Amino acid sequence: MELLIKNGFVYDPINGVNGEKIDIAVKNGKIVEKVNECKAKKINASGMVVMPGGVDIHSHIAGGKVNSGRLLRPEDHYRDFEKKTRITRSGVGRSVPSTFTTGYRYARMGYTMVMDPAMPPLEAKHTHEELSDTPLIDKASYPLLGDWWFVLEYLKDGKIEECARHVAWMITATKGYAIKLVNPGGLEAWGFGNNVSSLDDQIPHFGVTPREIIRGLCKVNQLLGLPHTIHVHTNNLGVPGNYATALETMRCVEDLAAGGKPVIHITHCQFSAFKGDDWRTFESGAEEIANYVNACSHVTLDMGQVIFTDTTTMTADGPFQYSLHTLSGNKWVNHDVETETSTGIVPFHYKRKNYVHATQWSIGLELALLIRDPWKILMTTDHPNGGPFIAYPKIVAWLMSRKAREATLKRINPKARSRSLLQSIDRELDFSEIAIMTRAGQAKALGLNCKGHLGVGADADIAIYNFNPETTDPSRKYKAVRRVFKKAAYTIKNGQIVAKDGEVLRHVNGATFWLNVQTREPAVLTAEMQRRFKEYWTVEYENYPVSENYLAVSHPITVKADV
Amino acid sequence: MIVNLYPLKTFKLPIIAECINPDMLKGKTLDDMRRLELWEGNKRRTLGELFKIEISNPASSSENVTIIVNGDVSRVKRIGAGMKSGEIIIKGNAGMHLGAEMHGGKITVYGNALSWAGSMMKGGAIEIHGDAGDYLGAPYRGSKEGMRGGKIVVSGNVGNEAGAYMHKGVIKIYGNAGQFTGFRMRGGTIYVQGSCGGRAGTCMVDGAVIVVGALESAPPTFTFEGVKNKARIDENEAVEASFYLFVGDLTENGVGKLYVARDRNPHLSNYEKLL
Amino acid sequence: MSVVTAVTCPVCGCLCDDIELTIHDNKVVKVKNGCAMCEAKFMGYSSEHRLLKPMIRKNGELVKVSITEAVKKAANILAEANYPVLYGWSNTSCEAISVGIELAEEVGGVIDNTSVVCHGPSLLSIQEVGIPSCTLGQVRHRADLIIYWGSNPWSSHPRHIERYTAFSHGRFKKSAWKNYVTKIKALVGRKKVQSAIKRLFVKEKIPSAVALSNFRHTPYLQTGKNSRKLIVVDVRRTKSAEIADYFVQIEPNKDYELLQALRALVRDQELEVDNVAGVPVEYLEEIVDAMVSCDFGALFFGLGLTMSGGKMRNIDAALSLVRDLNMRTKFVIMPMRGHFNVAGANTVFTWQTGYPYAVDFSLGYPRYNPGETSVVDILLRKESDAALIVASDPISNFPRKAAEHLTENPLIAIDPHMNVTAQVADVVIPSAFAGIEAAGTAYRMDHVPIPLKKVVEPPKGVLPDETILQRILAEVKKLKQANVREEA
Repeated sequence: MELLIKNGFVYDPINGVNGEKIDIAVKNGKIVEKVNECKAKKINASGMVVMPGGVDIHSHIAGGKVNSGRLLRPEDHYRDFEKKTRITRSGVGRSVPSTFTTGYRYARMGYTMVMDPAMPPLEAKHTHEELSDTPLIDKASYPLLGDWWFVLEYLKDGKIEECARHVAWMITATKGYAIKLVNPGGLEAWGFGNNVSSLDDQIPHFGVTPREIIRGLCKVNQLLGLPHTIHVHTNNLGVPGNYATALETMRCVEDLAAGGKPVIHITHCQFSAFKGDDWRTFESGAEEIANYVNACSHVTLDMGQVIFTDTTTMTADGPFQYSLHTLSGNKWVNHDVETETSTGIVPFHYKRKNYVHATQWSIGLELALLIRDPWKILMTTDHPNGGPFIAYPKIVAWLMSRKAREATLKRINPKARSRSLLQSIDRELDFSEIAIMTRAGQAKALGLNCKGHLGVGADADIAIYNFNPETTDPSRKYKAVRRVFKKAAYTIKNGQIVAKDGEVLRHVNGATFWLNVQTREPAVLTAEMQRRFKEYWTVEYENYPVSENYLAVSHPITVKADV
Repeated sequence: MIVNLYPLKTFKLPIIAECINPDMLKGKTLDDMRRLELWEGNKRRTLGELFKIEISNPASSSENVTIIVNGDVSRVKRIGAGMKSGEIIIKGNAGMHLGAEMHGGKITVYGNALSWAGSMMKGGAIEIHGDAGDYLGAPYRGSKEGMRGGKIVVSGNVGNEAGAYMHKGVIKIYGNAGQFTGFRMRGGTIYVQGSCGGRAGTCMVDGAVIVVGALESAPPTFTFEGVKNKARIDENEAVEASFYLFVGDLTENGVGKLYVARDRNPHLSNYEKLL
Repeated sequence: MSVVTAVTCPVCGCLCDDIELTIHDNKVVKVKNGCAMCEAKFMGYSSEHRLLKPMIRKNGELVKVSITEAVKKAANILAEANYPVLYGWSNTSCEAISVGIELAEEVGGVIDNTSVVCHGPSLLSIQEVGIPSCTLGQVRHRADLIIYWGSNPWSSHPRHIERYTAFSHGRFKKSAWKNYVTKIKALVGRKKVQSAIKRLFVKEKIPSAVALSNFRHTPYLQTGKNSRKLIVVDVRRTKSAEIADYFVQIEPNKDYELLQALRALVRDQELEVDNVAGVPVEYLEEIVDAMVSCDFGALFFGLGLTMSGGKMRNIDAALSLVRDLNMRTKFVIMPMRGHFNVAGANTVFTWQTGYPYAVDFSLGYPRYNPGETSVVDILLRKESDAALIVASDPISNFPRKAAEHLTENPLIAIDPHMNVTAQVADVVIPSAFAGIEAAGTAYRMDHVPIPLKKVVEPPKGVLPDETILQRILAEVKKLKQANVREEA
């Protein structure tokens, strides 16, 4: 099928297109030079913004943890539901939507690719079953490897290459996309109810430190040449004073960087940018983080913006979630996974009138606005931890409009307001910067060459928003910004219009991207490995890997590594 | 305005009729009312298809709507859900979720009401002249938002978990109550004139459960505070009798009060030793 | 003759996946590593009660028909129903369950799984309190205190103790097997021990009952640093109780009081009573001591807790107890799931609809309120007007009144066996055994997904649940489209 999008204001930062009126031609699901104008279906995008489809680098949409969150919260679903139509499946929404609803709601906002950032390897099949049931968007998932016993043991012995081979095996076996570290070392300690509190704490029974894990896996990532960097949820997340840990984490891999390329991604940085000694002296550490990031080039971050709403927090960071439970008194799910990782879930209500919550809200935006280079700071809410992804249009409005920020500032806790750096920040992002933070930069950080841009050969994933930047000022008309980003005029996935003005027109499967990491010497199944496997896990080696039939549409990317 | 509803048949399938609500009928003509939507099983129906509707004295202020349901509507769920004003009188049995999340107005049932009557109620009054089912005034699954205000009076018996997670308001039960009455309540008062099943008040943090009849057993996780001669239901009403007072629940560091009438509960007299 | 390794056992929630089968002439002839239940299933699944042909009731008699006719009839019944129920799902694959949910949505019915008669109350309590839990390997590696409450794994989940808990070998904690042997030694002498060991290792019979522990006269058992303690709480002395370090025998239907008392003690509160549920408070204090001083405790509970007086609130108290214990040490809790894929049914239901069981699609979107939308309650109130039963036998295990209402309306049964439900059904469709004749996925009681293997071919013409359901769904969609066209 051929498609021609005419007369739109195109924002395609990767190809240096900044709001020019360009026609976009699509054929067989790809962007092409041109199409036969008579035959092609035409979309009149005049007076509209045309961008690559949205990409989300970090959003918990599938897998055991997300599903436990769904199970935990009937009271969150029951007022927000989607009825079955002739085309779409029914489902429930709010903070942890069911799978079909997740796909539809992302597509309605013009998003076409979402990364689930926390897959326990043992339960990888579950993640993939859910991803396969998430329609309209492409997706991928990051296996949790920072506390995997194999990694801890190889790093203790300094066997980086051996470690790399096993990580390669694991990523391929779980059909994963990147190396995820969550509170490295802390989760193993959580196995006995403990935690680590600095990069140099010894992990009980294993004799390695978080620093060694982060550096080790960073090196492994480089050895394997994976498209994304290591994806790190820092130690001490959610603890006042943790901005120092975040800085330390970024610094500890500084020397591993080469050629100005990022080597580490600090995710949902807002939760790691707390200053102060306790909750009473709590304040923003965004400026310190931003100053550091502005001066270096080996880091990318995403925001983890907080939205004032009732949501469901869920991370692999078991000890953090437990502390959130004791803090809030809300119901708590914990799920530790043998040999690998843990999980915690706690419903949480961010309230504007609460000093800490309001300051958290401010920190996210401060980070996004104080970090000068939008390629370094990507827009997320760490769905659903900071708030559900359906709130993205609000964030876009806050980033594009000082007036929008002021309107919210007026209504938050007075102490938080008076201390917020936002009062002193005039910066307002333009559509090009928004395009970077919500698609181009995300795709680039992920190393996804076919996503996040509209150059010839790219996947024809396109979002069109009914906003005329020539006649309307987003800074003043921020409510219009919010409105148009909520319901894309068109969402095009692989050259097909899947949603129009908020209505889903098709139920098609997106693909699941995964890395087929081929090492020179594969991690062979020695008798020793088999013995360890039997000892470490309670499932058989043969039943562990995810076979390709768990992926509705499989999109392998082969990575050849010289180890 | 008085709207009389007569079921046109014996209902077999479950019916969801949020439109049987004074706020929804306010200012509507008979034809408008007939067209109001409801569900019978998995089929969409209209109020007119399932009920004969009669309006009497439409001339009187249409602001004040009274709905009278004449007949058995025990299969009809969510009558009066969310209502803010007006009155519903049901001459027969009522289905589940009667007056769920209601804010104001009054519902009277001359018959029984099934489970979840007054669920998550915030204001207004429900009067049930027969029995009520389980979860009277209790919240939806997974929620801790129990009754926030208003008053429920039941002349007959009630099932389990009446007033679970209650925050505020009054529940008066003149018959017997089932188990877990006032489970995890945080405020408000539950009065049981008849006998009360076990586990009354367990996990309560605050509020009061008053049992005038026999209580199956006192929870072991309450402390005995002594004998009182009066138990207060609300500002205007108190019960004068000799009560054992227990405070708990210790498992939740609670200060909820459990009053148990002395004369009907000789099996608790061993607590008097602690005095 | 061929040998298949790493086969997953489709019997109980343990989902052991180390079974080795020897296949000869499309038949399982030998089972290695499995328990007695596993062997019985693999060796005897294809009994004389096996269904081989689809059937439809005509003039009161079930007569054999083609699969196409049976599918059409089933689709007609479901498409015409005003409030159909679709029940079962715990003994089939997640792939089949997934199709079942779409079918329920398409026909505007209620879909429910067997949780409604087993761990439904547990799920309701999890939704109010949460649940601190883990995968079973975590227990194997770390737990030094194991509690079974209202559960008798020795009989219901025979390999649970040896694979995952007291008698398993972990990285940090070693098997309690040695302690058990020492204990027997002290009590019954060397000779008996040897025969007990022999019996245990060949897994033929469980050791004969040995008077071990009773709360009235049990010395606190001295155990080594890395060993484990086992506590069993039950209303009667089960086989599992025999091997425990502690056995707490409680009065029936008093679990709630006991759990609440333990909670108060964990919070350092003093009780004003001398005994709770028939157990002296000093003894409870000793148990609480063992709980708070362990490195890692695990509480497993069974239907003895879920289905006794107090039901969901028993679980509420158990979950709260374990949650509270996390203030003092590391503690986890897990329901002992019965059917091999009941956890899978909850899992697929939840990701597609947001709710784990009792999902009502009659309004075109998922609604959930057990008690209202749960199948047993719907049947007791006589609300449904048709039913589809997949891999379950509700007629023989539901309350009589509920079963009666099933038979009073059109009833479709999809099952490998001619069970009671199939015998009274109007449409009967034979299906392949999931995990033996059909591949797929199942979820272990700790939510670890494990593939099911197809090791033998099903009888000729017999299809897997997934395929049968897909055909019914396709037929229903055709009928609905025809209706839409007619209306237009």
